[in-house]
Amino acid sequence: MDRVILHIDMNAFFASVEQQANPDLRGKPVAVVGSGHRTVITTSSYEARSFGVKTGMAIWEGKRACPELIIVVGDNKKYTDASRQIIAMMRQYTPLVEVFSIDEAFLDVTHSYALFGTAETIAHQLKTRIRDELGLTCSVGIAPNKLLAKLASDMQKPDGLTVIAPDRIKEVLESVTIGDLCGIGRKLERQLNLLGIKKCGQLGRFPADILSRKFGIIGPRLRQMGQGIDNSPVVATEGDEQVKSIGHSMTLGKDIDTRQEILRYLLQLSEMVGRRARRYGVTGRTVSIYVRFADFFTNIQKQTTLNSHINQSGAIYKTAVRLLDGMEISQPVRLLGVCLSNLEYQEQQPSLFAEERRQEQLARAMDAVNDRFGDFKVTFGSMLDTEEKGSHVISPAWRPEGIRSMGLAASQSCTIRTPACCSRHETL
Amino acid sequence: MNFKIDRDTFLKALQKVQGIVEKRTSMPILSNILIEAQGDSLEILATDLEVGLKGSYPAKVETDGRITVGAKKLYEIVKELPNQEITFISKENDWVEITCGKVKFNIVGLPSDEFPAVASVKDAQLLELEASLLRKMIEKTSYAICNDETKYNLNGIFTRVEQTENGQVLKMVATDGHRLSIASGAFSGTANPELLKGVILPKKGVYEIKKITDEGDGLLQFGFVDSSAVLKKGDTTLVMRLVDGEFPDYTRVIPAANDQIVKAPREELIHAVRRMAILSSEKFKGIMLEIEGNGVKISSSNPELGDAMEELDVQYDGTPFSVRFNARYLLDVLMVAESQHVLMKFKNELSPSIVTPDSDDELLAVIMPMRL
Repeated sequence: MDRVILHIDMNAFFASVEQQANPDLRGKPVAVVGSGHRTVITTSSYEARSFGVKTGMAIWEGKRACPELIIVVGDNKKYTDASRQIIAMMRQYTPLVEVFSIDEAFLDVTHSYALFGTAETIAHQLKTRIRDELGLTCSVGIAPNKLLAKLASDMQKPDGLTVIAPDRIKEVLESVTIGDLCGIGRKLERQLNLLGIKKCGQLGRFPADILSRKFGIIGPRLRQMGQGIDNSPVVATEGDEQVKSIGHSMTLGKDIDTRQEILRYLLQLSEMVGRRARRYGVTGRTVSIYVRFADFFTNIQKQTTLNSHINQSGAIYKTAVRLLDGMEISQPVRLLGVCLSNLEYQEQQPSLFAEERRQEQLARAMDAVNDRFGDFKVTFGSMLDTEEKGSHVISPAWRPEGIRSMGLAASQSCTIRTPACCSRHETL
Repeated sequence: MNFKIDRDTFLKALQKVQGIVEKRTSMPILSNILIEAQGDSLEILATDLEVGLKGSYPAKVETDGRITVGAKKLYEIVKELPNQEITFISKENDWVEITCGKVKFNIVGLPSDEFPAVASVKDAQLLELEASLLRKMIEKTSYAICNDETKYNLNGIFTRVEQTENGQVLKMVATDGHRLSIASGAFSGTANPELLKGVILPKKGVYEIKKITDEGDGLLQFGFVDSSAVLKKGDTTLVMRLVDGEFPDYTRVIPAANDQIVKAPREELIHAVRRMAILSSEKFKGIMLEIEGNGVKISSSNPELGDAMEELDVQYDGTPFSVRFNARYLLDVLMVAESQHVLMKFKNELSPSIVTPDSDDELLAVIMPMRL
């Protein structure tokens, strides 16, 4: 039996939420930016897009494209609240809701027919409810699998509803450019273009052995993608889903190049990671750090696995510094990230040594104060003159409940991304 | 080099050094053993640069000489040889010919001058210890050695001779940061300065000492050369580099004011803890002890599996309280205590607890409870 999958993608999500919150912004070119010093445009309204304002532009670039552009500093809480409400609506139609990022989700409605009718009916109902209750629009794609559903929702924006029926898949794929498939990035597209592959149909017919030779184990998967085959299930996002890593990264206010400055940010990131790990009672054995340089293109990631599980900020920091010292910092640093993985969900065994117990108690006390009065209200002395604190990023792994996480390793190491791990970063 | 040796003697000698030889090493020579034939004996030496073991065995030596051969392969070969006399001949370019009855092996070795030197020992520098005492003390502490290599100062057993009102006492202490175990034994003779100050015997060396003491009781010689500890028993010499680090002041970890004392039958407690631990897992290691009157209620619960409870009669007349432990930590101590009963001394549910045998002072363990 063919599955029926819905992919729902909120249109210009952050900008639309802002326009709903403030009627003065409606119908005007709006760009949402992060709260840091040197942020980029994360989302712009469709009015702004018509002037050529794009995600990723610096504020001045946006203003140059559209002088009337209204800049709004993003408010994460507004977006997560809206997202939670939307997800709750989706769950009324099927328990199989896979929250893909803050503004995207997959729904498996194969077995919802008897109760709610066809996928189109469900899509129309959801679109109506989201518009009536939140004033937001979305694009919906309906197809027999996640790959095609996502492709379909991308075909008509904003406020679209696109169906790729099983008997039309072949015909559709003939005209779709391979880069439009979720999982084929710019680099991979270029490599495929060199083989003369431009459209999905060509990819699906391409000899499997050549693909295997060139791309290794992902070769056969690429060919399947070209044929529109994707068997990955819609995995319901559970509240207590066990995450695999806890990470934070931040784009710095200005490029930095002294060790002292890098260390200060590493400490801050370690504290953010440690605090979240402690909040959820997890410890991890693998620490990785991620450095992106000022040229925007070069980045290094290094990781190490310890013999014991840690979640104290100091221990994470110490490991991160060791990793940093093993790197060649050849140019100013633009972005830093720290990640804890290899996680264990385990009850805490306090240390036998009074000194270490005091450290643990201190961390708990600091966490309690910061939980109540806000992040970094009580913090390390060496971080006092750091201007920006906290990441202003909604992680691509954002989920309505549980630990928000960001897997540095996952997002950097895979060249091909199945829909399950491909999403975009919303930098606020 | 040319010698003949009894197959069983050779096999036992090779077996002994298998634990020392590095399996994965950046120095190929460390996968080898040094074989030296001289006079009427054969010396076999293995080292990983941290721990070295030398054994001396009777052999019919025709020509003296030295060679190194891969420890594992040689052991595999000798293990499969018929139980007859083995002839071992070194040839040009470090080849070795091994014949035994109608079997012949040619294997390639490495020149002996590449083999690292191991400190030589003069008997005069050594003091005497009873093998059985050392064995018991290692058993009572080695379970608590820390395996986390980043805490290198805890990767061994701290050994020291202390002066008490009852004379000199040999102490061995190990801890992994969550529990600590102290073994004590009578010590006679003159302690050398190293022992009075205290040394950390490395984990791997400790396990080798244990193997030597397992071979039989009797006296063994113990001492120090440079920054290594040396242990001799019969024709076997063990040398180990001491852990270069500061062992934490363990006396400060032993709580002084634990006056809530529970006396429990050891065997019964072991069985109860084992049963309750069945429901503990990687994630939920803890078992709960609720102590009230002359009874302790031991229980465990695991949201993924279910729960269990057991009651045990004990002697206790303090105020009721509850405490949680990692079941493994409790079991490890109970297993090495030798008495009928154990004393568990508590201050409260958040402070380090003491476990000791009730009838001797050879063992004292401190365990940190888990948070309730």
